[in-house]
Amino acid sequence: MLEIKNLHAKIGDKEILKGLSLKVNAGEVHAIMGPNGTGKSTLASIIAGKEDYVITAGEILFEGKNLLELSPDERAREGVFLAFQYPVEIPGVSTTNFMKAAVNAKRKHHGLEPIVAKEFLALMNEKRQLVDLDKSYLSRSINEGFSGGEKKRNEIFQMAMLDPKLAILDETDSGLDIDALRIVADGVNKLKNKHNAFLVITHYQRLLNYIVPDYVHIMYDGRIVKTGDKSLALKMEERGYDWIKEEIGV
Amino acid sequence: MIADTGTKMIHIGKNTRSRIVSKGISGGKSQNSYRGLVQVHKTAENAYNFSQCDSLLLGDKCGAHTFPYLEIKNKSAQVEHEATTSKIGEDLLFYCNQRGLTNEEAVDMIVNGYCKEVFKQLPMEFAVEAQKLLSISLEGSVG
Repeated sequence: MLEIKNLHAKIGDKEILKGLSLKVNAGEVHAIMGPNGTGKSTLASIIAGKEDYVITAGEILFEGKNLLELSPDERAREGVFLAFQYPVEIPGVSTTNFMKAAVNAKRKHHGLEPIVAKEFLALMNEKRQLVDLDKSYLSRSINEGFSGGEKKRNEIFQMAMLDPKLAILDETDSGLDIDALRIVADGVNKLKNKHNAFLVITHYQRLLNYIVPDYVHIMYDGRIVKTGDKSLALKMEERGYDWIKEEIGV
Repeated sequence: MIADTGTKMIHIGKNTRSRIVSKGISGGKSQNSYRGLVQVHKTAENAYNFSQCDSLLLGDKCGAHTFPYLEIKNKSAQVEHEATTSKIGEDLLFYCNQRGLTNEEAVDMIVNGYCKEVFKQLPMEFAVEAQKLLSISLEGSVG
């Protein structure tokens, strides 16, 4: 589904990704871990299409298409979803209206008619229960006055509404208490099926107790330096990142 | 474009209250000024005014300016003024893009959200017209 080949990217003069390769198939959950400043969030932003970065080499294929040629909104409509680390607030725009616009933009892209109001409301009701989001949030301005946990739950709710092929969770667990973490993870687990894939970016092994990854990648200095199964995450937690540095000889 | 607009609110009677909400949107290279005069006459015992002036900037070549004018002749008056300026920044646009909306769809939605407080006070037919007019005048305003 997603294939990243030898990706190099920089922001200004600073090279952040230095030859990153990654392959994600449908039905898989991949976790990316690594110390601060190794380019994890950069990778998420680049896949989603944020324009601050310059790709100097390499390519990203999404279902065989060259992702780097598509605009961020086209990528989204093709089925790439990014759950933001810091979701923005949009005053005066309710989650309902926002989601309606997003769902219809996607439907239009796939040659479908706009969703019928009744169907949309039923869908919203079903999906909000997935992350235990109270009905009242849907009519409030999106993310305005939401707590950190509510914002993250709202991101997962939006993910559920848009049913993406590839979902990237950029440190969705940061700032969550244990209950909110479990709700978010449960939501993800319920959405997981053999047609979609998840890329989970995290600092802590904690989240991976709930969202069990098929692969764990350790990122260091703009590259994936080690790949393993979920036991690798446990090993990281136990030994810290210095162990990786020794292992790769830096 | 340069727009220099404003309002006047004159308090003459006792215990009068007023509220002004001004919402300005500047796009392209336009400059928008709001001048709000609030007059409280000697006779207006216990007058109260609240003025809120919000400005929304589309892009980084436009500007917004707010000039409150207060002429208060009665010491019992209470006059409040609040002004905000916000910008449709890249982060906001990227967030909307990431949900599948084009820049134009995103701006349309953000601007409508911004105007909602005023639009919802208008009679239905007029609100619909205002919304359409807004969409037309915003076409191509964000590059």
